[in-house]
Amino acid sequence: MTTHAAPSTSSPEPGGGFVDPDVRVRLYETMVLCRTYEEAILREYHADKGPGFDIGKGLVPGEMHLSAGQEPVAAGVCAHLTEEDAVTATHRPHHLAIAHGMDLRRMTAEIFGRETGLGRGRGGHMHLFDPATHFSCSGIIAEGYPPALGQAFAFQRRGGGQVAVAVTGEGAANQGGFHESLNLAARWALPVVFVVEDNDWAISVPRSASTAVGSNADRAAAYGIPGDRVEDNDVEGVYDAARRAVARARAGEGPSLIEVHTLRLWGHFEGDAQGYRPELADVSAHDPIPRYEQTLRAGGHLADAAVARIKDAAKERVEDAITYAKNSPVPDPASATSYVFA
Amino acid sequence: MTIIDTPAAPAPRASHRLTTSKAMVEAIAQEMERDPSVFYLGEDVGAYGGIFSSTTGLLERFGPQRVIDTPISETAFIGLGIGAAVEGMRPIVELMFADFMGVCLDQIYNHMAKIHYESGGNVKVPMVLTTAVGGGYSDGAQHSQCLWGTFAHLPGMKVVVPSTPADAKGLMTSAIRDDNPVIYMFHKGVMGLPWMAKNARSTDDVPEGDYTVPIGKARVAREGSDVTVVTLSLSVHHALDVAESVAGEGIDVEVIDLRSLVPLDREAILTSVGKTGRLVVVDEDYCSFGLSGEVVATVADHDPRMLRVPVQRVAVPDVPIPYAHALEYAVLPRQDRIEKAVRTAVAG
Amino acid sequence: MTDVVFPALSKETPDAEGVLATWFVSDGATVTADQLVAEVQVEKVSAEVAAPVGGVVHLLVAEEATVKQGSPIARIE
Repeated sequence: MTTHAAPSTSSPEPGGGFVDPDVRVRLYETMVLCRTYEEAILREYHADKGPGFDIGKGLVPGEMHLSAGQEPVAAGVCAHLTEEDAVTATHRPHHLAIAHGMDLRRMTAEIFGRETGLGRGRGGHMHLFDPATHFSCSGIIAEGYPPALGQAFAFQRRGGGQVAVAVTGEGAANQGGFHESLNLAARWALPVVFVVEDNDWAISVPRSASTAVGSNADRAAAYGIPGDRVEDNDVEGVYDAARRAVARARAGEGPSLIEVHTLRLWGHFEGDAQGYRPELADVSAHDPIPRYEQTLRAGGHLADAAVARIKDAAKERVEDAITYAKNSPVPDPASATSYVFA
Repeated sequence: MTIIDTPAAPAPRASHRLTTSKAMVEAIAQEMERDPSVFYLGEDVGAYGGIFSSTTGLLERFGPQRVIDTPISETAFIGLGIGAAVEGMRPIVELMFADFMGVCLDQIYNHMAKIHYESGGNVKVPMVLTTAVGGGYSDGAQHSQCLWGTFAHLPGMKVVVPSTPADAKGLMTSAIRDDNPVIYMFHKGVMGLPWMAKNARSTDDVPEGDYTVPIGKARVAREGSDVTVVTLSLSVHHALDVAESVAGEGIDVEVIDLRSLVPLDREAILTSVGKTGRLVVVDEDYCSFGLSGEVVATVADHDPRMLRVPVQRVAVPDVPIPYAHALEYAVLPRQDRIEKAVRTAVAG
Repeated sequence: MTDVVFPALSKETPDAEGVLATWFVSDGATVTADQLVAEVQVEKVSAEVAAPVGGVVHLLVAEEATVKQGSPIARIE
């Protein structure tokens, strides 16, 4: 279900809403893979932090921001991308990395801080860089938007139709860099798709307390670009909005913004007791994956056997990646100052 | 080891006289000619030619696709430079005044400088960030700073600070060709601008054709035996003025032009202080917690017994730079303060 | 003998005076046609001056000197 905040400035689209059955199953598969991964990381992260909770302890130390509940955004958007397109993500990047095709082993090795990781253990879970898929992420709110502009600029010059997808949260939409980026991308008609994951919470501050407007899709109009808001964490709504936005960008028609009202199923970070969240007990009832599974079953696109196959395949891939990471060497402390400069 | 610069070409080159700004532009033009992925963006760099003449003539020569005026959005356009560099282009991005780093520092130090390391060397950011620094013309506290100590302090970016036209050209060429982020800081007072009081050495011989000056190597601007003055940028010229003026009294001053802060040529500092035993540091950045302290620490870390007398630091005291001319010139490290420091060092 | 003339930068006030801001060549140097020889300034506008012909240049004014637009600043023979 989509609402359009501003009239589309691109050429007329064919009737939206219908999603090919194969695509629907693939969307489900992607979401299951993302969730399976996050559940495994959750398990590994907490396995050795006790007694109590020592954040610096264990095989996966540090902050951990998991994306459970936000899979529809990753699945719906990345379905329209190839590995030649760029994605910049936030401190909560795993679902986007997976949906965009990042190598699970090297990603996991990086999260486990191993020498075989994407960053040789120097980046960690918030700083996953994968040149093979033009993927990057950053822990600084809203600051992933500007580099996406640069990737889009290079793509525009090369003329191959590649696009850059820049993802932030609804809290980031109040940061200066967000606004600068929308204006500059619009002014230079850069092939960017701005995605805002509105999960209602900027850590503990709800959008109602931080944002002066009802929808960041409305803000797109302030910069002269189309804005769409997708409600209900609806993966097919995301798919539909992203199809239009990506097509616009590829056709040289400039940037668009998609805001998705999504759901942060777990805490801001692992260890977050979420005492500030009044609806916490209800949250799991809105899990988008069982809901979509139900939709596909009802439509005859999925049955028990297929669901089991999909879940088993996901589990196998995820556990393989985790085993690979655990068996990988830890970086040599003597190399700590290497790789500052090329 | 030798720290005296020799030209890159095997035979002496023809040279022509240029101001520092024209030399900088010549380097950019030669590289843009040679490499189509080089482009320049920033505020007023197009038709205006750069507020401090960093891009004069480039728009006419290369067109608006390669010399690009941006909106006032430093976070967005510096970030844009980063993304373009990650995708294999070679952007030169101008931060109009180093003083403006406050509005965009995150892209600079948390992104541009860290991406290579965080990616374990898998992602390069071959970008140049040019910026104007320095005071002396009453532009006040927010438009007169040097701040190279701050940039040099943050890991992951090279920092170069040319003082002469020849070095301005050679260092710019090196910066553009370097696969790392390089901050290129040019002092407004060495640019040779017709609308600002010039120092005589702002116009000087510049070799023709393309050549590089290595990043990370200081230059002996004047050989001497009694006292070492380690300095950079406009202060090199003031130090040379003082050296010339006291030479007649038998005070022989050696002037080291650092040229690069990251990497810092600690060997050059140690070789010179090892010879003279006396150190004066002249630094137009704020005194405490910065470059001048780092130069002193270089000696202290190696062997403080090299020093026969206490070190003299001639820097801007830890105050905002004042507007009124008399006040501004009381805080800048000019010839009078440099001379006093030199005399104190040799008397001790 | 060819004059090198201070360019007319201010068309509204042809009698306006400007400054010889920078010499890029020394007195008696050999220059080629189109070589950059000086930078001049009238109020806020600056301009480069190129040698109109090749030859030996004789400088007629000093750096920082005030010069009327249109008057000769050097001669080339």
